[in-house]
Amino acid sequence: MSVSNDPIVFTGSGIVCGAGGSVAEVWGKLTTGETAVRPFTQFDPAKWPVQVASEVLLSDRDLVSDRKLHKTISRTDMFGIYAAEQALADSGLPAHRDALPETDQAAWNDRTGLIVGTGGGNYKSNYDYLPLMTEAEVSPDGALPHFGKELSNQVTPMWLLKNLPNNVLCHVGIRGQYKGTNACITNQCSSGILAVAEAACAITNDEADRIAAAGHDSPFEPEMVYYYHKLGLMSGAAPRPFDASRDGTVFGEGSAALVLERESEAKARGAKIIGEFLGFGCCNEATGIVDLADDGNGVSRAIEEAIGNAGISKEEVALICAHGNGNQASDRTEAMGILRVFGEAAPPVTAFKWCYGHLIAASGIADIVMALEVLKQGVLPGIATLDSVDPVIGAFPISRENRTVSGKVALVICRGFGGMNVVVVVRGRD
Amino acid sequence: MARPNKRRIAVTGLGLVTPVGNDVDTTWSALLSGKSGSAPIASFDASGFSTTFGAEVKGFDPEAAIPNRKLLKYASKSHRFALAAATQALADAGMAPTDADSHRWGLSVGAGMLSVDYEDLKVVHRHAAADGTFNADGLMDPGFPGNPLAFCRWQANAGQALLTKQFGIRGYATSVHTACASGGQAIGTALKVMRRGQCDVMLAGGFDSMLNPLGISGFCLLGALSTDNDNPTGASRPFDLTRNGFVLGEGAGFLVLEDWGRAVARGAKIYAELAGDGNSLSAYRITDSPPDGNGPIQAIHQALGDAGITPGDVDYVNAHGTSTQMNDRSECAALKAVFADRIDEVRVSSTKSSMGHLIAAAGAVEAAVCCLAIRDGVAPVNANYGTPDPDCDVNLVVGQPVRMKIRAALSNSLGFGGSNSSLVFRNPEEVQA
Repeated sequence: MSVSNDPIVFTGSGIVCGAGGSVAEVWGKLTTGETAVRPFTQFDPAKWPVQVASEVLLSDRDLVSDRKLHKTISRTDMFGIYAAEQALADSGLPAHRDALPETDQAAWNDRTGLIVGTGGGNYKSNYDYLPLMTEAEVSPDGALPHFGKELSNQVTPMWLLKNLPNNVLCHVGIRGQYKGTNACITNQCSSGILAVAEAACAITNDEADRIAAAGHDSPFEPEMVYYYHKLGLMSGAAPRPFDASRDGTVFGEGSAALVLERESEAKARGAKIIGEFLGFGCCNEATGIVDLADDGNGVSRAIEEAIGNAGISKEEVALICAHGNGNQASDRTEAMGILRVFGEAAPPVTAFKWCYGHLIAASGIADIVMALEVLKQGVLPGIATLDSVDPVIGAFPISRENRTVSGKVALVICRGFGGMNVVVVVRGRD
Repeated sequence: MARPNKRRIAVTGLGLVTPVGNDVDTTWSALLSGKSGSAPIASFDASGFSTTFGAEVKGFDPEAAIPNRKLLKYASKSHRFALAAATQALADAGMAPTDADSHRWGLSVGAGMLSVDYEDLKVVHRHAAADGTFNADGLMDPGFPGNPLAFCRWQANAGQALLTKQFGIRGYATSVHTACASGGQAIGTALKVMRRGQCDVMLAGGFDSMLNPLGISGFCLLGALSTDNDNPTGASRPFDLTRNGFVLGEGAGFLVLEDWGRAVARGAKIYAELAGDGNSLSAYRITDSPPDGNGPIQAIHQALGDAGITPGDVDYVNAHGTSTQMNDRSECAALKAVFADRIDEVRVSSTKSSMGHLIAAAGAVEAAVCCLAIRDGVAPVNANYGTPDPDCDVNLVVGQPVRMKIRAALSNSLGFGGSNSSLVFRNPEEVQA
């Protein structure tokens, strides 16, 4: 697909997370070794075994200026709309469309797609029902009959719409009048990175001429922290990917987005080209909801598939942005998968979750956005929380310090619940 | 019309768990005759809700229907429907992934949106919100019986994870959700993945169950459901002037999609060619599509173009036809715009008239219905139709199923949020001709 003579390029990017509301802000944190994992504020951490997260500090108004919309969307949707519209503005496409003759705009809109990856339903949304449950528990009518009878008096009629997993798709579409091909991917951690891959494939397949791909999530909420902790997946401090002492991940929240189009069209309209999508791989380990294969076979298969799909040799890979979530088993098997493919010749590896936490559905696409910045700047941020590489992993080319990189091809790895492994290959442009 | 050089994809297996039958044959014979699956809700006390009926799956025995019983503790109701329907589909196709080819097998599912059920929420309520206000510290109470199994069950891709594990599928896997368009988009996604050569066989489908207190609450609040509580079996009447909302259903539908040459080489029975996928965004309102059909029209045109056929090649449309005022009007406007002067020659029915609206599973179940209609040369009925609506004057299949050669069938799924999905299935005889 990627060997087509009209490459698929990125012409706009956007991000919002605990580390900031723009690529430049997040880049500043990543390269100065400053983590955005902090004591959280959305509920009182005093009694909790985990007291940190990487929260977005922007207000709802900063995220989405239209206050009417706030009543009909949830927190994760705010992030998604913010990043998607930032990426679209960065690409210059809305202004380009508006400058077209009015008669051409409808056809342009029909050929403009949106593909969004989301974390899906959250726990908090259901808390709207709790006051009614309290009342229902003591009702002489019986709890459920009372619940049903009083429902419309106590809960917003917009409840369902506020919690639709495809809200970002819906509202970015309505606000921008984009009407082309679309998808909403609900594949937990893999959602956002798959949105980028599917967007590239859709343009190659001529389903659309340009697509904004976004991933968004707000996993940070009490029940999620509780269960991740109970399953042994959560650390009490900024994650330490691949470190011997790593003890889990930490939630972030936020969104990232990329605009993709054909190089010929980007050049024709004089757009800035950030980088190029080369290919991807997607391999499942068939291990169930949370378990991982012991040997990292899904990681190595996805890397091989991605490299083959990109039509490059593995020697061309200049750097790897790993999933590196800071969990014992995940980091160990991820390193095994990388080393199985690259052996001693593995290119420099880094990971970003020590800085902005684990964005779950947005994590893979956020890592692509930052990988493109790495290629642009020629600097690979170190893992600031790294003390010593886990000896179980063995020789592994990661560093606490920033490193200079000269090559132009980056590999981004994203792993997720459900035995998922997705790998995307991108090339930087000068 | 010159067909672009696209890889041809065959449908070689079907599986269904629906409100009118827990397998393909039972469901299909009920749909042909327009038998309703709608009844007063039996699985919980719905007497207080504004709608007290729905189209529930009946007599479903997960222990008997699902080979890997160890997965059951992780499986919600809708996951169970999915595991059962997918098991049927693979048995029907007469194959399963092997160690040698499992990396060439993929999965694409439309999964429901619910994050917890009422019973789980009750536990949170008891420990962390007894007075109605959520207090996170309640979860830290040593008595809080937080169940990691429930957490696993409600992950957005839990159903996908259980299906890949059950069958050992090791290639591409994904879950999508665009509300009522989810099932159609999942099958469309699978078509794209296969056409670009990433998989040789895919299990594609949808599953959902919102027939529980929290699920039905969302729709009751929105006023989207029919409130014909005294007439559950007649409540879903798509395109009828007196329609007043949809009937909530539940279930799962799965298709086995296979490279055409591979299917022919192994002598597989081929129901149909999955020939085209189209999808568009209405970008209009959250719950409605525009009265003039702008949005659905583009999806249908894309699907026909993708299939390399024209509107003149389509004989049957399995409509989205939810039985809400706005959807049915908008969809008919779209059909009339696309089929123009041929509109009277195209037979249309919404099988939601029998089995209700299966939400994220609807598009997948209805895709299977299109395959059966092509196989048997018969269009199922649009049940409960009595009073014509001048805005919905398409050629509905009323009263009796219609025997007819179906060269190509179109399946529409139009979702909340404005996503529209259209799929085109072609008769294998047409393909070989």
